[in-house]
Amino acid sequence: MSNIGWKDVLADEMSDDLAHEIDIFEGQMELMGQGKLDEKVFAETRLRRGVYGQRYDNGQRHDGFESRELAFDEKERIKGPDTLWHAPGMQRIKVPGGGLTPNQLDVLAQVADEYSDGILHITTRQDIQLHFVHIEDTPDMMRRLASVGITTREACGNSVRNVTCCHLAGVCRTEVFDATPYSEAFAEFLLGHDDVQDFGRKFKPAFSGCEAEACGLVMMHDIGYLAQIQEVDGNPRRGFKVYVGGGLGTVPHQAKVLSEFTPEEEILPLAQAVSRVFARLGEKRNRNRARIKFLVAKLGIEEFRRLVEEERKTLPHDDRWTAYMDTLPHYEEKPSRPPTFLNGQVRSSEFNQWFETNVYSQRQEGYSVVTVNLPLGDLTSQQTWELADIARKYVGDNVRSTVEQNIVLRWVSDSDLPNLYEELKAIGLGDPGAGTIVDITACPGTDTCKLGIASSRGLAGELRTRLTAKSASLPDAIKDLKIKISGCFNSCGQHHVSDIGFFGNSRRSGNFKMPHFQVILGGKWHDNAGSYGLAVGAVPSKTVPEVVDTITSRYVEERSKGETFQDWIGRIGKKEARNIIQPFMQLPAFEQDPEYFSDWGDPRVFSLGDIGIGECAGEVVSLFSMEISPAESEAFEAQVALDENDPARADALAYSSMLKAARALVRTQFLDVGDSPDRIVQEFKTRFFDTELFFDQYAKGKFGQYLLDRHSNGDPKPDNDAAHRLIEEALLFIEATHACESKVGGNVLVEI
Amino acid sequence: MIAPHRLSIKFFFDDFSVDVESFIPVFHRWIREDVVPNELLLDVADYKHIVDGPAILLVGHEADYVIDLTDGKPGLLYVRKRDVGSDLSSALGTTLSQALNGAKLTENDVELKGKLKLRTDGAAIVLLDRLNYPNAANGDGADSPAVAAQAQLSENLAAVFGDDATVTRVANHAREPLTFKLHAPSAPDVDTLLNRLGSGD
Repeated sequence: MSNIGWKDVLADEMSDDLAHEIDIFEGQMELMGQGKLDEKVFAETRLRRGVYGQRYDNGQRHDGFESRELAFDEKERIKGPDTLWHAPGMQRIKVPGGGLTPNQLDVLAQVADEYSDGILHITTRQDIQLHFVHIEDTPDMMRRLASVGITTREACGNSVRNVTCCHLAGVCRTEVFDATPYSEAFAEFLLGHDDVQDFGRKFKPAFSGCEAEACGLVMMHDIGYLAQIQEVDGNPRRGFKVYVGGGLGTVPHQAKVLSEFTPEEEILPLAQAVSRVFARLGEKRNRNRARIKFLVAKLGIEEFRRLVEEERKTLPHDDRWTAYMDTLPHYEEKPSRPPTFLNGQVRSSEFNQWFETNVYSQRQEGYSVVTVNLPLGDLTSQQTWELADIARKYVGDNVRSTVEQNIVLRWVSDSDLPNLYEELKAIGLGDPGAGTIVDITACPGTDTCKLGIASSRGLAGELRTRLTAKSASLPDAIKDLKIKISGCFNSCGQHHVSDIGFFGNSRRSGNFKMPHFQVILGGKWHDNAGSYGLAVGAVPSKTVPEVVDTITSRYVEERSKGETFQDWIGRIGKKEARNIIQPFMQLPAFEQDPEYFSDWGDPRVFSLGDIGIGECAGEVVSLFSMEISPAESEAFEAQVALDENDPARADALAYSSMLKAARALVRTQFLDVGDSPDRIVQEFKTRFFDTELFFDQYAKGKFGQYLLDRHSNGDPKPDNDAAHRLIEEALLFIEATHACESKVGGNVLVEI
Repeated sequence: MIAPHRLSIKFFFDDFSVDVESFIPVFHRWIREDVVPNELLLDVADYKHIVDGPAILLVGHEADYVIDLTDGKPGLLYVRKRDVGSDLSSALGTTLSQALNGAKLTENDVELKGKLKLRTDGAAIVLLDRLNYPNAANGDGADSPAVAAQAQLSENLAAVFGDDATVTRVANHAREPLTFKLHAPSAPDVDTLLNRLGSGD
């Protein structure tokens, strides 16, 4: 019983690729534990598996009086710069387009209760995050997720992040066409792609089907695809308007139009060309200028477009660019129940209230989308598997997470809505108000984020409670306003694109710091995040509920008929908007009102002492370092296989490790080497062996010959001795690869 | 029997009428004053916005203490996450004594004193380890770890809670963790239980 692990139990349920990647990561953890991996390389490695740091993982915590050391074991053992190995962290789990199945929900619930604190948190990128996870648990967690087709690969780090897509895509009443299969193809194509391994910063894509709705929010993304149909020779042709260089963060940029119309068969090569230009010309050393928005701004969109078009011409053909298109004519979601209508059914007032805000009538008659309104994006393991059962009963696999931190059930047959509501209510998930002023978005903030300054979740919870209590009496004009909150200026709560946004900061009063929130007014969620709000001033955190009341009251009093909140803010101007909040900007002394000096939900005297270094910050690691690391892990795995008396597997792993090392070396000169062993060996031989660059001063070409010999042996049939010998040779080959790279000088850098 | 990956015990409050928010400053103080022996306390997580869930968590390195409202049954849930023990028996001993210690701290806390009483005549015990302790249905052939675990828990808990203590398996779904219910009609108070476990003052 004790010798069998999840790796064995799930061996037949994981794809080979996912299983192997996880084995490699586990090997890298082992090497890190033995001090054989550079801490920066390991940090980026784990980030690219979604294994993120969390507040206090530097071993320090401010208790309200002083900063104190947390007595973790083995404090010398680290998993990255200033990050203790044993400190719990966050696991981000990618959910492309938010698509989830009941079986996946079951497994997510299980890993949450066995490895985290039993809470699943939906993020503003449709991901799921688990907190307080110990790194030793991550490989098994990944295996269990892989067994239901979920990967955590490139959920963090300088990589292509989760591809978001409108949660209504396919059932929307206003979309041009369903962007879902395109977003899925995009996510699959770029996952682990060679051309996205050398970015200076993260890269966030989005897909949208409607221009006027919020939909995929393409205007605030690094790359955004907006569905379009063009007439060509009298026939409708599908494609996308492509945007590039948008982003929030400290300096928000609206995306620029890269292409007015890119036909469907060109969207993936275009993304690849953009990726290459970004990897080659994007900033690497200064992370504050490394997002693609800065490159687009620096070059100008015309020059950026020219470079992308030139790059496109040089791309070697890839069948995957269009392979997915064969499936498009058959792409459809299957409702699990026939369409019905709600006519005549008795409805409670509670149901009506929920129906008004949480139910969207699909364009397919007889069906609706139900939004499960998750407070602060959270649900428990128990709620998750109960929700999975509800999904099985009513909608099958048609479940998605949303960028507003909710979950939607699609294809609900309309007459099922009353029963569905009762069942959601019974598990604590029947809250009305989805998409309204009470449905507040918040990033993790100081609860768990190393960069958090103020408590975004604490504030969101307080506002939600207060606004819900008076929701019945709220004027119609403000019911649908959006409130979004970030714990710092990095905009994970997307405060720039809300009607009323906040981001955390602090101010000093006497000898104490006071948590504050900068107020951002008039951002636009619609029109794909069509415009960003105005920063009008910072107010103490504890005054924010009153600030919201005051602003919304003024809007209700002063708005002209039909005037939107954005228009009203635009009309009164920044100066008057600031005047509205001015009375709240006065800071009491600590002795006058100590309450102001602690944050929502946190009685400790406020401090900035817990802010750590973001894991995206400042370290430069070469592409070679990132790519040689899996080779070392495989060589390690080969030794384990030999210990387990499996010489064939040991031989295969040792050979594979040499290929990986050779490929890493070749890619310092030639990025397009691909994955074919023949091609890798040929390029290695031509570029490094025949030129004697790989030669050791004394051993000459001996180490390189190990690879050439093994590669030419198509049928090795190794016994234990032969496998052992090959492992030794692989280790020497990897060392020689390091030496060669140092000698030649890698020139491709990535920043973490 | 192998120690489970995680093991939890929940004791239930008698007449719970405290605002869960009042546990937040209490738990922060516990961290500051380092009140739990042999455990590193890290932070407080506020989940009171979740209906019938884990309202307030005192997150630790080895274990979490949770003011848990799941299923409408308020209680103190102790989740042992690390250094669980060498086998199921020792894991149960560690988890039970630390859970009871948590109960004592809660009942006697200076800010909560007199407001809370934890019942010792019942508890929920969960083996959070679907690999080694699958929640297989009774009699389906894969339930031998569950059967053996029940026997082990029964033996150990009777020695602490009294001979009339019974451990029954909760008939929950196979995807949920293996769960048992302790019924101990003649159980003594927390101090006596701790003394029986050799963990008293």
